[in-house]
Amino acid sequence: MNPRLPTPALSESRWPNLAPPRLEVRQRPRPAPPGWLRKIHWRTAIGALLLAGILHVTATLAVPLLGPGMAYHKLRELLPANTMVVVPPLRPGKQLLPFLMPDAYYGICRYSLANGPITVSAPLADLGWTLSLHTPHGDNFYVIPGQQQRTTDLSLVVVPAAEKSGDLIPAVTRRAPAASEDQIASPSQEGLIIIRAPLKGLAWKGEAEAALARAKCTLGANS
Amino acid sequence: MPQVGKLLVNLLAIAAIGVGGGLGSAWYMVEAGSRLTTRSFGPWTTWIAAGRPDADPYTRAHSARNGLLPIASTLELSFYAKTDSDGGQLQSACDYAVTVEGLEGAWWNLAAFDRRGGLIANAADRFSFSGDNAMREPDGRAVIVVARDARPGNWLPVGAGKMTLALTVQDAVMAAAVHAGGSIKPLPTIRKIGCR
Repeated sequence: MNPRLPTPALSESRWPNLAPPRLEVRQRPRPAPPGWLRKIHWRTAIGALLLAGILHVTATLAVPLLGPGMAYHKLRELLPANTMVVVPPLRPGKQLLPFLMPDAYYGICRYSLANGPITVSAPLADLGWTLSLHTPHGDNFYVIPGQQQRTTDLSLVVVPAAEKSGDLIPAVTRRAPAASEDQIASPSQEGLIIIRAPLKGLAWKGEAEAALARAKCTLGANS
Repeated sequence: MPQVGKLLVNLLAIAAIGVGGGLGSAWYMVEAGSRLTTRSFGPWTTWIAAGRPDADPYTRAHSARNGLLPIASTLELSFYAKTDSDGGQLQSACDYAVTVEGLEGAWWNLAAFDRRGGLIANAADRFSFSGDNAMREPDGRAVIVVARDARPGNWLPVGAGKMTLALTVQDAVMAAAVHAGGSIKPLPTIRKIGCR
């Protein structure tokens, strides 16, 4: 064969009928699930998930109802009803509640509306002071903060929520609805009224004590 | 016998997934919270709906289980930190500098507790600092040193063991921003100074 001549092309009709090459990608064999896992029936798995969901919801909803650590349950035994009790700044081992802000006086009234509305009068002497109302479940349904370097004298009447709406209790026990804005409807028959008086320092102790001494929580409405 | 083994495995699966998973996930959601119920800003975490009458069941359960009585988060926010700004556990063997900067206009209080919310006994009888009594640097910052031994300036004494710092901020605008998922004023940084 003359090497200078081009290589003769093989006509298409004479191409050998060869099968296309097979490309094989080697895959690692999947590890088989452990034997115990294969024994779990799919119905069991679904049942277990359903049980988990039910227990999750039940436990979450039950905690506030069982509530061994609930703040109100702890304070109910310590506080007389419808009386303002002034608690001095907290000390280690003598805390009312966990994580309660220290270096502050607290005026606390455990109220009960079973015998009628409650009148609360309290001064809020400065910024950081608050007056808050809580249900036994810890809902803070009313709160008012103090103003900077200005004493605000508050007077509130706490009434049952139904009484404020005026149509869910017998007319005999219903008090004429007052148009005053200081009427607070309590969603529960019992609860807590808390005045927090943070101390700026020891020099302000007397001032805070004197202000809290004026705080009152009495049965009956002034209006 | 294989049937008995299969039954046993199925019962164990129900117990593990059903009881363990159900109660375990509830405990986690109530104690630690999730993105649905809490918001974190650096080391600080707050329960978004704490104290509110329309709070979700997890928040209610969290407050009830821990005996908390929070003021509604529409007015006041309680932030808790168990770690410093670098993620290390807060412990009394170390000293920390808490720098409060940018909370102007808001009333705030910083207190140290043990992990169960108890006050830490100390000879100085000091348990917290607030915006009213913390000494300021010339640039307006308040640097509070949390340490076992006395330090000059704003010294917040702590005892032995792990601790939790609680920051209370009274600012209705900030509270609304937290609830809405918006940005808020910068919260204090917690920097480890050193350990023994």
